[in-house]
This record gives sequence, structure tokens and C-alpha cells, in this order.
Amino acid sequence: MTVAPLPLSSNDSDLQLVQRTVAGDQRAYELLVLKYQRRIERLVARMVRDHDLVQDIAQETFLRAYRALPQFRGEAQFYTWLYRIAVNTAKKFLMDLRRDPVLTESALAPVQDDEETFRNRHEPSTDETPETVLAAQEIAAAVQAAMEALPEELRQAVTLREIEGLSYDEIAQAMGCPIGTVRSRIFRAREAISARVKPLLDRQTGKRW
Amino acid sequence: MKDDVVNTQELLSALVDGELAGAELERALAVAEDAQGQRNWQLYHLVGDVLRSPDLAHHSQRDVLTGLRARLAQEPPLQGEHLQLVPGALEQVQAPAPVRDQAANASVFRWKLAAGFASIAAVAAVGWQVLALQTAPVSGAQLAQSAAPGVVAVAADDGRSVMLRDPNLDALLALHEQYANRPGLQVPAEFLRNASLAHAGSSQRAP
Repeated sequence: MTVAPLPLSSNDSDLQLVQRTVAGDQRAYELLVLKYQRRIERLVARMVRDHDLVQDIAQETFLRAYRALPQFRGEAQFYTWLYRIAVNTAKKFLMDLRRDPVLTESALAPVQDDEETFRNRHEPSTDETPETVLAAQEIAAAVQAAMEALPEELRQAVTLREIEGLSYDEIAQAMGCPIGTVRSRIFRAREAISARVKPLLDRQTGKRW
Repeated sequence: MKDDVVNTQELLSALVDGELAGAELERALAVAEDAQGQRNWQLYHLVGDVLRSPDLAHHSQRDVLTGLRARLAQEPPLQGEHLQLVPGALEQVQAPAPVRDQAANASVFRWKLAAGFASIAAVAAVGWQVLALQTAPVSGAQLAQSAAPGVVAVAADDGRSVMLRDPNLDALLALHEQYANRPGLQVPAEFLRNASLAHAGSSQRAP
């Protein structure tokens, strides 16, 4: 199981939001949290067994990242930087748990130096129950079906953006259309795909999307 | 009215891609402030992640944001109004030509460029010290005494002239060698002149 890379220009958006956060706009940081919450939880869930701890560690990760934002220089991708904070935070939580005389056996997982080791152990993470696996399969199938149903120009635009990681300018050159058209096509593609995914999320989460 | 709604959601979509600036960026951030805007933001990213890898097709039901908001409200303002990105960080990512178009020895060239700047800085620093002492003929011992604390006078290879070695300067040169080996390094002259040993090794460590 491998973690998909982010598109090359994802860091543009991240750097913009980081800059806004440091300048005092907390809304920008909330968008970063919403963007990476799933990935961070998935990472942490491979390191701890206690379901309840995952949320605590994820929250602590984002809090620590927030405090360290002024030190972020953009030399590495934002998610790479956040990833290391998450690993260090999870390790600290586990170390603290080990020192606690009243500890929960189920909360402890072997502490590894690198999260990579967990991916190779073929051990289901805390979050992988039959229900969540089925839900994920449904979402993946819905996205695939929605892509196949898209008009060609919308499918091409969203593919060049999300999978190839091209900028709007590059996509405009590739497709021979204005940048405004590229932006519109990507938006309409996302809306069409989201329309198929929303009912699944409504059912899975119990709230309206 | 409906066109306005579509237009603002399109701005949100463009924000996902980092393709906004100025007034449009402000409008998009305002759209993302409410609950529906945040749900759409999450949806767009879920779609993108799933397109890149079906393994990421799970949706979190945890509410991390509510608790985090409460804790962030207790945090002091972040230090520094402006993020000090390394030169070219944003421009590099936005460059139309991706890394694959760079020459195979580009990193070697950058290393040599950084080493060249460091050498020039070192020669200039030593030269200034020697020039200041050239008003009167002095021996090597006298040079060592009159130089800055920690500076040591050593004989040069020709056996007649004296070279001043400053351990602080040697450490600075070693630090620049380390930086030169990091990928994507851009080393303008201003960085060298303003470099300070007080910040050595503290730039990008994860807490």
C-alpha cells in the first residue's frame, strides 16, 4: 500500500495558506487542517491502536505545526514537514503512555523509527474496520464512475490537474484554451464527481453534505 | 444569484489549486469560512486524493477542527508577520518547467556556485584583516596578538608570508558547505553577508 503523492503545485496552495496564517488569518490554517486531516489520521492510526488516541494525536500535531509555522521556510513540501511533526507527536504520546503505570495495553503499538515500517507489516490500522473499508471502496467506485461519465474536455482538464499536477497555465497551453476555461472545466468536473460522492458521505456520516 | 454561488464555489476550486491571488483569494477564503464552504473544500480534496490513489478513499468522521479551534484561541499570536521563505521557494514551485527539465548536473553546479561564494567571502574577510595591519611591518606573533580574539596566525606555504585563520570563519565556511549540499538551494550574495553563526543549523527542524 503506497501513499499517493500530492500534485506538484499543491505546495503553491499550501504556501499561500501558511503565509496567510502567519500573517494572522486563522481561517487559512483551518483549510490546511481540513486538507490534511485524513492523511494525518491515517498515518497516526498506523502507529497507535487506540481509536480515541488518533484524534488527540492528530489535534496535537496540528497545534504543534501551528506553533512552528513561523519556522517553516518552504525548503520542503508542507506535507513532508507536517508528516514529521505527526510522527514525532505520535511517538511522544506513546512514550508518555509507556511511563504511565495505568496504561492501556491496546493503546500501545511497537514504536518504530519510521512510519514506513508500519505499511509493510500488513496489519490493519486502527481505522480499518470492515465498514470503513467498504465505505472507502464505495467512494472510490463512485469517483471512478463519475470520471468515466464526464465529458472529454472536463475529464482531460481534471486529469491534467489532479494526476499530472500541471498548473492552470500549463493545462491551458496543453488544451489550447484560455486559463479561465481551464478553471471552469476543473470546477465543473469536481462538482460532477462530488455530486456522486455526496450521497455516500451523507449515509456514512449521518450529516448532509 | 445562482451565478454568484457558482462563481464563489469556482473560486474555492481554484483555491484548492493555489491559483488565486489578491481579491479573488480573499473572496475564496471568505467562502471557505462557512460550514458548506469547508465541506466543499474537503470534498474537492477527497476527489483529488482518490483520483491519485483509491487507497485514500476514506473519509474521516472525526471532528479535529472544533477542539483545535478552542486550543488555537488560547495561543498567542504567531511571531513574525511575514513568513520568511527561502528565496525562490514559491517561484520554484510555480515554475512552468518541472524538475525533470533540469540538467543532470544542476545540483553539482549549485554546489560549486555556493562554494565559490563562500571562497570569495573567506578571501575578502582575511584580506580585510591583513590590509588593516599593513601600515607597519609586523611579525607573525604580533599579527596574532593584534587580530581579533581567536584568530591565529599561521605560516603560509611559501614560508615567508603569514595567513590569519579565524576559527569562526572556518566554521562559517563549513556551514555553507553543508547548505550547498541541500537540494534546491538558492544562495544569493546577501545571504552570505548576513549569515550568522547564531542561526547555524536551526532553520528547518520539525519540533
